Amino acid sequence: MHSNDRHEQELRLLQLHFIGKILAGFTHEAKNYLAIINESVGLMGDMVQMGKSSEKDLSEYLQIIRSVEDQIKKANEQFRALNRFAHRMDTELSSFNLNESIFELIALLTRLANQKKITLIKNFQEDLPSLYSNPSLIQFLVFSVLDEGLLKLEKDSRITIETAGVDQAVQIKIIPEGNVLEQESDVPSVPHEIVEMAIKQLHGNIVREGGGETLIVLPLTAS
Amino acid sequence: MIQTLKDIFRAIRHPRDLFSISAADPYKSLKIRVILLDAILSLLPLVIVVTISYFWFQSILKEDYRSQIKWQIENTKQSLDFFIEERVSGLRFIASTFTYEQLSDRKTLANVFLKFKREVSGLVDLGVIDSNGIQQAYVGPYKLEGKDYSNQDWFDEVIVRNVSVSDVFMGYRKLPHFAIAVKRELPEQGTFWILRATIDVETLSKFASAMNLGPKDDAFLINKEGVIQTPSQFHGNVLEKLVFPLPGSPQGATVQELTESPHHACTICGYAELKNSPWTLVAMIQSAPYLKIPRIFKNELLLIIILSTIVGIIVVTRIANTLVNRIQGAEKEREDAIAQSEHASKLASVGRLASGVAHEINNPLAIINEKAGLMKDILEASEDQSKSREKFLGLINSIFDSVSRCRTITHRLLGFSRRMDTSHELFNMNDAIREVLGFLEKEIMFRNIRLELVLAEDLPRVMTDKGQIQQVLLNIFNNALDALLDGKEGAITITTRAEDQKIRVSVSDNGHGIPKDKLKKIFEPFYSTKEKGKGTGLGLFISYGIIKKLGGNILVESEATKGTKFTIEIPTTSTSQ
Amino acid sequence: MTRTKVLLVDDEVEFASALAERLQMRNYEVRTASNGLEAMALFHEMPPDVVLLDLKIPGMDGLEILSNIKKFDPTIEVLMLTGHGDVSSVQKGMQSGALEYMMKPIDIDELTSKIDKARKKKERG
Repeated sequence: MHSNDRHEQELRLLQLHFIGKILAGFTHEAKNYLAIINESVGLMGDMVQMGKSSEKDLSEYLQIIRSVEDQIKKANEQFRALNRFAHRMDTELSSFNLNESIFELIALLTRLANQKKITLIKNFQEDLPSLYSNPSLIQFLVFSVLDEGLLKLEKDSRITIETAGVDQAVQIKIIPEGNVLEQESDVPSVPHEIVEMAIKQLHGNIVREGGGETLIVLPLTAS
Repeated sequence: MIQTLKDIFRAIRHPRDLFSISAADPYKSLKIRVILLDAILSLLPLVIVVTISYFWFQSILKEDYRSQIKWQIENTKQSLDFFIEERVSGLRFIASTFTYEQLSDRKTLANVFLKFKREVSGLVDLGVIDSNGIQQAYVGPYKLEGKDYSNQDWFDEVIVRNVSVSDVFMGYRKLPHFAIAVKRELPEQGTFWILRATIDVETLSKFASAMNLGPKDDAFLINKEGVIQTPSQFHGNVLEKLVFPLPGSPQGATVQELTESPHHACTICGYAELKNSPWTLVAMIQSAPYLKIPRIFKNELLLIIILSTIVGIIVVTRIANTLVNRIQGAEKEREDAIAQSEHASKLASVGRLASGVAHEINNPLAIINEKAGLMKDILEASEDQSKSREKFLGLINSIFDSVSRCRTITHRLLGFSRRMDTSHELFNMNDAIREVLGFLEKEIMFRNIRLELVLAEDLPRVMTDKGQIQQVLLNIFNNALDALLDGKEGAITITTRAEDQKIRVSVSDNGHGIPKDKLKKIFEPFYSTKEKGKGTGLGLFISYGIIKKLGGNILVESEATKGTKFTIEIPTTSTSQ
Repeated sequence: MTRTKVLLVDDEVEFASALAERLQMRNYEVRTASNGLEAMALFHEMPPDVVLLDLKIPGMDGLEILSNIKKFDPTIEVLMLTGHGDVSSVQKGMQSGALEYMMKPIDIDELTSKIDKARKKKERG
């Protein structure tokens, strides 16, 4: 009975920690975009100041601006993903599209994955039925499994996230492909008991297969 | 359950331990108290009833026994009366059948004596006494012919009453005897003669002690002076005086209890005056079988009480265990629900702040986009670029400003995300307030609210959970914003000051206020004065819990239509409890 | 056809001025207002064909401005600009007669095509 309490408490803390991690990672990413914009514009400013206005210069200016617009687009996407991610936390239970929620999670994790040179690949079933459950907890759950892969895999590996609808439930398959690092990372991922706790709260099921694949099954209605 | 019983015994033997159990585990102490109380309440009536029954039963048995004794004394008295009567009748018969002259003849007397002796036991001798008191004829073991009895009491008595039964006396051989004398009147001669027989006490005492008595009991005869006539076992020898006096008794047997007795254990004394003789039958009953029976009864009762107690305690313990465990379970469920609620609330507030950032970033991002786009347009328009230089520099500066603005907005998020799971840091309350206000800036501007900050400059830093404090501040600020009325110019004043080792933060608004009767309820869960759909009613409840856990306090003053003031107090060295 | 008259109502001055300039370079006649009162004043001065309205405006709710515009002249088309996914306001706006909405940051080409469409609609009556 007591260990159950501890696990629940730990789950909550880890969930908060995960969100903090996402937000921190996001902030750094956003700052990167802003920095690029700043530098690019700064460069342009310097050139304009120097009076550079040849054909070549002008075309360079255009290039800079295009890149700035590009960065803005990317930053915008990130902020939209953050917005949706943040709104998932408004209420515990809601009706939502699983693909979208995983999509924004992956969007917010892209930087982290890129740092480790691991590619995240989406393979979503298009017409997935709506889920009535706890979206932020599901995001935490998927993150927990992904995090394991991110910590264990070598560079240039990839992790595929598949979604599929099954009878009265949805399936999330996480398939890591690549070699495992020799050295264990010193940063621990979410412990299995906590993952079990989250699955239990979602009334779902998790199966870890031998080849490193993880299969999560969640009922359409979590009650 | 064994553990609970052990705890009960411990609590009974060392009542002071109850306090230490109480402090460590309030549920355990509750169990113990409930069990003890229940046990006492349920066993008390049982004990009372049993005790009453016991004493009542005992008294009934005693009464019964006394009745028996009385009856026995009656019986014995009647036997003794009959015994005497028999001998008196016999003597009378002889005296009326034979003449003085006949019986004065020794041979005839001896013959009569032998025949009489055969019929009547205990006869020792037989004598004929003339009217002067001289024994004229005698048959018996002693040499008593010619003895003069004229001075004796019995002589006078027999002349008057015609019959005399004497008290017991020591005979010539130091054996106790008594004598019966009958008078035969000779009315023609105007004289009389007396026939006297001596009877041994043995037979008499056999009758006396024939009462069905226990080994410690004693039955004997005493005379009118209280002198013992027949041998008694414990109360003195024959011809000794009985130590304690007896009151005179009416007809029939009397049985009464004695508070004092020579042997300390005599409980009942029964006595009856005999009819035909000058004696009183006395029975001293020590045995009290009515006490023995209750002893057995007592054993059975004790067994029942013990069994009932054991069963009772087991049942009561079981029930108390179940109930208190249920209470504990319910409390725990409630605490869990609250913890989950707090967690959801925390997530929601994080979500709100994060999405706030996402919303805010939009404008500066849009600005950068437009400025860059404009530069592109200018370049692509390929007009005279000479004037463009100034313009471009202006646009570029504009972009810098917007980027800077974006940075500030996003930076807020970083600070917040770092604080997601630290719970103790040293910080200045004024900074924390300004940070939270930063998130609400837009709305405050949007609604033209007058915000006044009176923040103490030298406010000491406080060591506590900054994240949770900010959550509470956000809740209170939001409440203030929601309370403001549309028509009136909204004003919110936030002050901080340090007083008695505490930091006080006050948030006053001039909104719709809270009526006095609702004021007590605002910290209750699911209580909300906001319209349906707005707010969960949990904000203040959770805020109150947070502040209390951090060792502080939330106070509220309010007047309907005038405004509300919330004050948060946090000790400068706060420790979570 | 005359130049399309555009009224841009947005409290972010930097954004409004840059966008106005860009539109002017594309041959639109643009006025900017930073709040509802200014907007209504400009209305009388130069009735626009299309209004670009930012939903979050301090002082007068964007939706309020929208309804005022529609009251003033229902043929004027309104395009809503919104920064955040404020779905309910957008929905209300669409119900109150706004023609379209666009999310910031704005793609200038998409914006101009929408403005032209709105103008055409207005001309058709």
